[in-house]
Amino acid sequence: MLGIDLGSRTVKIVLMKNREIMACSLYDTIRFYRQFSRSSRGKLQLDFNGLNLDPETEMVATGYGKIAVTIAGAQKIPEIQAHAFGALFQSRCENFTLLDIGGQDTKVIQVQKGDIVDFATNDRCAAGSGRYLENMASVLEINWEQLSSYDQNPVELNATCAIFGETELIARIVEGHPTSHLAAGVNYAVFKRVAPLLKKLYSDTIILSGGGALNPALVRMIREETGCQVLPIKEPRLNGAIGCCVWGQGWK
Amino acid sequence: MKKIGFTTSIPVEIIYAAGQVPVDLNNLFINSSRALFMLDLAEEAGYPRNTCGWIKGLYTAALETDIQGVIAVMQGDCSNTQALMETLQMQGREIIPFAYPYDRDPEMLRLYVEKLMAYFSVNWDQVLQAKKDLDQIRQHCRELDRLTWQENVVTGAENHYFLVSSSDFLGQPQTYEQEIKACIQMAREREPNLDEVRLAYMGVPPIFTNLYESIEAMGARIVYNEVQHQFSMPHSSDHILDQYLAYTYPYGAFARLKDILPELEKRNVDGIIHYTQTFCFRQIEDIIYRSHIKKPFLTLEGDKPGKVDARTRMRLESFVNMLKMRGKGR
Repeated sequence: MLGIDLGSRTVKIVLMKNREIMACSLYDTIRFYRQFSRSSRGKLQLDFNGLNLDPETEMVATGYGKIAVTIAGAQKIPEIQAHAFGALFQSRCENFTLLDIGGQDTKVIQVQKGDIVDFATNDRCAAGSGRYLENMASVLEINWEQLSSYDQNPVELNATCAIFGETELIARIVEGHPTSHLAAGVNYAVFKRVAPLLKKLYSDTIILSGGGALNPALVRMIREETGCQVLPIKEPRLNGAIGCCVWGQGWK
Repeated sequence: MKKIGFTTSIPVEIIYAAGQVPVDLNNLFINSSRALFMLDLAEEAGYPRNTCGWIKGLYTAALETDIQGVIAVMQGDCSNTQALMETLQMQGREIIPFAYPYDRDPEMLRLYVEKLMAYFSVNWDQVLQAKKDLDQIRQHCRELDRLTWQENVVTGAENHYFLVSSSDFLGQPQTYEQEIKACIQMAREREPNLDEVRLAYMGVPPIFTNLYESIEAMGARIVYNEVQHQFSMPHSSDHILDQYLAYTYPYGAFARLKDILPELEKRNVDGIIHYTQTFCFRQIEDIIYRSHIKKPFLTLEGDKPGKVDARTRMRLESFVNMLKMRGKGR
């Protein structure tokens, strides 16, 4: 079973057999569309050779391009379901709130007794998403790992817009704050943006997925500020693609 | 016959009594193939980008149509209406103010109605006769609505179209009557829809042009259009004043809830879609509806006219899917 998650920044492909991940790959979204696919009769034909995939394998796809892009031969499911199934499978937990911080959007999904009971997505823009974190790291001239390590003494930042956030951050740099406090401020701004959603869709267990889960400083902030247990999953970035396989095989 | 534009439902009986043609500017705007362009024109005139799309559409619609004047609902609808009227006045349009009293005071409403009657030089007999004529057509609205939720033979889109158009009866009550009767007749011959998911739609009419079709393609159907249902004046009353006091839309969230809650039960809906317009004060009222309505609730937001965008579609699909899974669990 192949699970494909067409994200806004990366495309994730997972091959699963007997509940095990046999292979996985991540592609830059633009590169994936340019290099490994072509559009024909309104559907996306995958270059199975180039992707090193067996065209006979069953496929389930999800993702932002789900409507604009229908993959020929693949079933498709909504993103919310894909992520919830992925988290159910990876965590073995049945009651939780999933926080998915992706490249350009954030999703919060409340799961009770194994069923989705409510969900919310961020505002119309990429504010507070992975793109914001990346852009702010580049303004601070540090890499993702460095940015993700600071959670102490956050400076106050109000804008989480991936573009305008830069102006505010520069103003704080001018004020002379150390990089560690600025980086912590960036992480805290993301937390503040998702906090109301976590409160609204409350569970005492929070599962993080998407690229945002790879930010330990953010994970610590969520744990400390909400008082909830934050449960790690093994493959946060592949969670949606795994969920596609889980749905396709009825493994829930 | 002279045409009179209006910004939201008003006692349309008065205009018909005066032998003039009412034009709901909202319908004119959203049904235009140039809707998106009309919005651009308003922005070129200086309307800010962060203002409601409907207000901008109404501005252009009011300027482009050969109307004698615009009845502006200054209380009980949107506060942007004031600036809309002022900018239309600047362009030489005649403005006729109307208001629904916030506290639903019958005496105040009488004053506003009588003021409007005086403007059009009509008396109570004429207005009540016009009401009698329109009430006959409204009977068909009630039947179409019943066929939607009870017999399950009318689509959400048909329900929306006929009820939303009952604000002005397309300016041609006879044509409207023929159309709705034809739809009812056609629907009666259909097999009932075996809905997997029954949805309620609340809030102002959508700026999306294919919302109902998109939802039906997902295996769900809208069996209740809250505000559109109100436009059709569903509560029979002998007097026009009682009718516009029973009408809930202009009297705030709590008045609307009194109508919504029993309807949700009666129509056996699985979930609610609350549509709000980007930049609208009603986005704040979402708090009230969410806390009072104990059913799965999805808030949608639309900005400019056009098809349902990818993100909204994803949210709708997920919501419908979630309700389907719940249904199976029962």
